[in-house]
Amino acid sequence: MWTRFLALVSRLRFVAARRRMSDEAADELNAHIELLTARYVRSGMAPDEARLAARRQVGNVVMVREEIYHMNSVGWLEVLTQDVRYAFRTFARNPGFASVVILTLALGIGANTAIFSVVYSVLLKPLPYARPEQIYSVEVVIPERRDQIPSLPVTVQAYLEWRKAHTEFAAMSALRPWECNVTGDGEPERIGGARVSATFFSFLGVPVARGRGFSAEEEQPGKERVVVISDALWRRRYGSDAAVIGKTIVINGESHLVVGIAPASLMVPTGAQLHPLLPFAPRIDIWKPIAPAVRELKNESWDHAVLVRLRSGGSAEHGRHELEAVLNGMFRVQRPGIKTQAVIQLVPVREIYAGKIRLRLLLILAASVLLLLTACASIANLLLARAASRANEFATRIALGAGQARVLGQTLTETIVLAIVGGAIAVGLAKYGALALASYGPDDVRLLADTRLNLPLLVFAMTMSVMTGLVCGVAPAWQACRKDAAAELNAGARTSLGGGPAARSRQFLVGVEMALATALLASAGLLLHSFVNVMHADRGYEIERVLAVDVSVFGQRYSAAAGRTAFYGDLVGNVRALPGVVAAGAVSDLPALASSTGGSRTIFHPTDTDFQGLVLARPVAMVRSVTTGYFAASGSSLRAGRFFADEEPLPVAVISESLARRLWPREDPTAAVGRRLRQGDVTGPLIAVAGVVTDARPGGMDREPLPVIYRPYQQWASGPMTLVLRTAQEPSALASAVRTEIRKLDPDLAVSAIRTMRDIVSSTVAQRRFQLTLTAVFALVALLLGAVGLYGVVSYSVACRTRDIGVRIALGALRTDVMRWVFSNGMKPVLIGLVAGMGAAIAAARALRGLLFGITPADPLSLGAVVVVLLLTSGLACYLPARRAAALDPMIALRHE
Amino acid sequence: MAKGSTPAKTDVLQGTLDLMVLKTLESMGPLHGYGIARRIEQISDAVLKLNEGTVYASLMRLQHQRWISASWGNSENNRRAKFYTITRQGRGQLTAETENWKRIAGVIGRLLRTAVEP
Repeated sequence: MWTRFLALVSRLRFVAARRRMSDEAADELNAHIELLTARYVRSGMAPDEARLAARRQVGNVVMVREEIYHMNSVGWLEVLTQDVRYAFRTFARNPGFASVVILTLALGIGANTAIFSVVYSVLLKPLPYARPEQIYSVEVVIPERRDQIPSLPVTVQAYLEWRKAHTEFAAMSALRPWECNVTGDGEPERIGGARVSATFFSFLGVPVARGRGFSAEEEQPGKERVVVISDALWRRRYGSDAAVIGKTIVINGESHLVVGIAPASLMVPTGAQLHPLLPFAPRIDIWKPIAPAVRELKNESWDHAVLVRLRSGGSAEHGRHELEAVLNGMFRVQRPGIKTQAVIQLVPVREIYAGKIRLRLLLILAASVLLLLTACASIANLLLARAASRANEFATRIALGAGQARVLGQTLTETIVLAIVGGAIAVGLAKYGALALASYGPDDVRLLADTRLNLPLLVFAMTMSVMTGLVCGVAPAWQACRKDAAAELNAGARTSLGGGPAARSRQFLVGVEMALATALLASAGLLLHSFVNVMHADRGYEIERVLAVDVSVFGQRYSAAAGRTAFYGDLVGNVRALPGVVAAGAVSDLPALASSTGGSRTIFHPTDTDFQGLVLARPVAMVRSVTTGYFAASGSSLRAGRFFADEEPLPVAVISESLARRLWPREDPTAAVGRRLRQGDVTGPLIAVAGVVTDARPGGMDREPLPVIYRPYQQWASGPMTLVLRTAQEPSALASAVRTEIRKLDPDLAVSAIRTMRDIVSSTVAQRRFQLTLTAVFALVALLLGAVGLYGVVSYSVACRTRDIGVRIALGALRTDVMRWVFSNGMKPVLIGLVAGMGAAIAAARALRGLLFGITPADPLSLGAVVVVLLLTSGLACYLPARRAAALDPMIALRHE
Repeated sequence: MAKGSTPAKTDVLQGTLDLMVLKTLESMGPLHGYGIARRIEQISDAVLKLNEGTVYASLMRLQHQRWISASWGNSENNRRAKFYTITRQGRGQLTAETENWKRIAGVIGRLLRTAVEP
């Protein structure tokens, strides 16, 4: 075997050059004859005689040439080349068939590989940490609060106690958001940062790339002014200069020593990934140690995320109980009056990154599998149709003496050529598909997506499609070989009625394709309707022509509330005076983003006195600090009372409807105006309710609106605020003017983001849009494949029955009868597929339930639209051949053979 | 699909020709086809009747086995000609074939002697 293989390889060297070799041999032979002739002439022969003698001595030149040519050829390779050439010729003659098969293969294999590669990297590939399966994030659940706040982050006190206790956990690390205003060297810049435990990098098992990490004493207040910066920031702002380590940079007006640079591969949770109540920046580029000061330890603030690492062999369940015991012990000591048993939730780190997108990705994956099945059915259908139309050709070839193996081999070659071309396009498609998915996907996908193709899946999808091709392409050829060629030729010549098992299996395949297309279309329809509902839902604020500008003030000038108040007062006043601005105001947290830098507080009735006994019975509200003009600028609608005036001498608040309802459940929310409440404690000042506004919902509409208490910024000052401008024209046109105004007030302030409200809302529905787009694309492709399949089947049956139709028309059948006959035949598998697909879709929609918005899984509008689209498309696919049938000239049809 | 399939009778003859060509190249150094034919003619003293064209088929066969290599060069009268050179593998093969040949010739010689005696 091996020697034969070697011989083949050595022979292949000559195969490519065999024509040249043969020509060269001819030249040599001619030269040989010349030389011999010359020799005989020299020995005294006449030239003619000499030439004849030379020729005789050399022998048959043609035979030698042929021997050399064959010596340099490989038999089966010849046949293969011939077959491949023939295949390409056939495809060139019938480009429609070839391109549809190739496209179908490419879409089926390409889409699946792209999706699976991305899904694999997001949901399955190990995260870039040491033993990532041991890492969990800790969340606290207060059962009495669960309906309002499903879970809370952790207090720094609890973290410190846990760290001291002996538990199942080998290590812990806390982190919380930290906004950085970097000044001094170059343009002031707003950069996302995090305060982390000194052990953060070693906790993750990702050591810093240059310099050092933090040391334990840098968690002491006063020693914490050291930072590690990200690789990206180091390259961008500091020009990849390693000398930045050991230098100080100014962050939020204080100088910090740069001690290290994180590796480029470091991945940390961003945005609301760790917890919805912990608004990290979309990118984290600076880390600084946490250093809880005494003052900080006196207040209880649920604002730290805590990551824990289980010991090898440790039990997460056991560890959870240990943390609960420590936390509840702290509660009992500090507030014996509060009767609650906190529950700890451990969230695996994978869930932090992929938890929110998992269901959507799995559903997208399911949709792409349905597409692959549709592609296989479609290929089967196309090849069966082709085999049927070639029955005659096979019979002719066999009758002319082609061997079975030769006919089979030829068909096999054709199928494989199609598979290779389709597969090659699929690989390209998959590569670009994965890139597109990774770059346009929502953040959850983009951060984790690895665009390397998943090879096993590529092979799997390819095998599946090619096997389908082989079964459907070669089986009919094999059948043809076994049949009596003469009988087949005769039968083919006369009728070939197109009944038979092949036609029935093709009808069945069309039914399957239509069922799959229906299921996909129905899912896409439900998602589309939900998306439209989300986009048109009333969020309680305006989306069009609103500009949002994030501003954050730092440093000495703003350390007192008065400084911040003065700055924001001036800024809003100046911006309001800009031409094109209809209204302007500022708010501490945009309701669209559902984040809370202002924190949340328990709201008490004025008569409440027992804090510990009542704290869990009273509602919690997000505190948002607003300037005058905010409500007008954002388009909030007032249910009752009034908005804030420029001067509010007494403590006042505007509350959201839901807060009013929770505080005074038995009354209409509008009746809350004029009532009083306390915020955070039973001893605080009494606050009068000035007005009630409608609830402002998060942009994605994915959560119930939280109760909100709005306070005038003079009474509840916030460092970071978002300027909200209502504009007369396109809002983004005002961006540079606003930037200039901010510079004028404080040249050291960095403006991190200027976005239109439309962009903000759009980013909150990114996951939804991602899923919708992909499902819709898959559904449309499936529909197209189904329609092409149907068209093929109907056209073929019309072609087979041309004579039949001719007879009918000649005997007086009306054109409409013919049309109806073609239609009823064509639409039968469609209707069966439609019913089956609808059933499957409604069953599958249960899985979608959580992702729908404002509709039930059996939404009549979406499903009705699907039926209409499917019937119209298949109607068109039937209409074209039906019209052709009806337009037949009976005379030509009867002669048709 | 007639290709390379040759009757067994010529196989023996071919093998002999291949061996002769190989030996010629070993003793004479690089040669072109015409030169090889002349050399065989000279050695065989016109005993062997050779279709000289088959020398080229033999040369191609030997190239397939990598026992000789071919390159274009200029002949003594300044014509372009393909020169054939024996390779290292070819020399090894020649030694083996020579041994083989001697053994077979000896066996056949003995066989013929005993066959004549009685």
